Amino acid sequence: MTLESVLLVSAVLFATGLYGVLSRRSAVTVLMSLEIMFNAVVVAAVGFTRFTVPAGLAAGGAVTAPGARLALTGHAFAVFIIAVAAAEVALGLALIITLYKYRQTADLAQANLMKN
Amino acid sequence: MSELFEVSGVVNIMFWAASALAVSAALAVVTVPNVFKAALFLALSFTGLAAVYFLLSAEFVGVVQILVYVGAVSVLIVFATMLVRDMGGASRPVNKQVATGAIIVAALVAAGIVFVGYDTQWTRVEDIESVDSAAALAGTYREVSLVGRSREEAVLVAADASANGAKPGVFADGTGTLGTLLLREYLLAFEVIGLVLTAALIGALALMREPRHDTESARTRRTDRGAA
Repeated sequence: MTLESVLLVSAVLFATGLYGVLSRRSAVTVLMSLEIMFNAVVVAAVGFTRFTVPAGLAAGGAVTAPGARLALTGHAFAVFIIAVAAAEVALGLALIITLYKYRQTADLAQANLMKN
Repeated sequence: MSELFEVSGVVNIMFWAASALAVSAALAVVTVPNVFKAALFLALSFTGLAAVYFLLSAEFVGVVQILVYVGAVSVLIVFATMLVRDMGGASRPVNKQVATGAIIVAALVAAGIVFVGYDTQWTRVEDIESVDSAAALAGTYREVSLVGRSREEAVLVAADASANGAKPGVFADGTGTLGTLLLREYLLAFEVIGLVLTAALIGALALMREPRHDTESARTRRTDRGAA
């Protein structure tokens, strides 16, 4: 378990999600793939927090409490990303069900109400 | 100091097992034809990732992952798959060319991320020279109050000279430190994210509401439902 292995896992997850977003027809599956991509980013943020430090801290010199706290910025980002993903999934599912009400399908190829 | 940063073999094995679980479940999500099964695999993938967060000593993020993703997002998606009755047909790829193109794009993006990850000179925890910095990052420090300075400006020094058990990147009180960080340095973002969540949920409710315009058919439908 090194920074590189964490980034490898993150990259594979991100690519998996990207493939799903680009290739699936079902709006629900596309939303699930988006969640996988969000999670890949969270993995990277948490991995960076674990294995890297702000350059100022590594160099040495006087360390203050805010400076030491900022080393946990990755975790704060992870929490924000998870909150945004939760908001996004609520809105996305509402949109999908609205589409389903109008078209009786969750097929993205049929989502052409605004075409022309 | 570098022996402090060694990751034990057991943790290593658990990390790779949890990662393999998360990645294979994610691959199942984008390949199984049944949307409902994909939703269940998604929950499995989230659980594996929660284990990864715990192993990376991000306990709070791991708990939030289980509460929000496994507990809320997965359940929401499962409900949506039940409301949207289009299980089998719609989840196949658009067509062969699009699927091949998607694989190529995804592989290129992954290769780019991995290349940057390996090629960049990161400032690693092993690079920390000063014992005080290491202790400050591990939470095993003592505050040296300077005359005329606030507590925030106090300099942190290692609690003891050898910085026993100090493991930079692994905070002794990570959750407490994260709480302070969120409510001091990131207070504005923290408040705005609450606003975003509220707005998104109100938006979702507004989308899902029955249309207000009272056409004749809608009114009769509603009375029918009331009678039943």
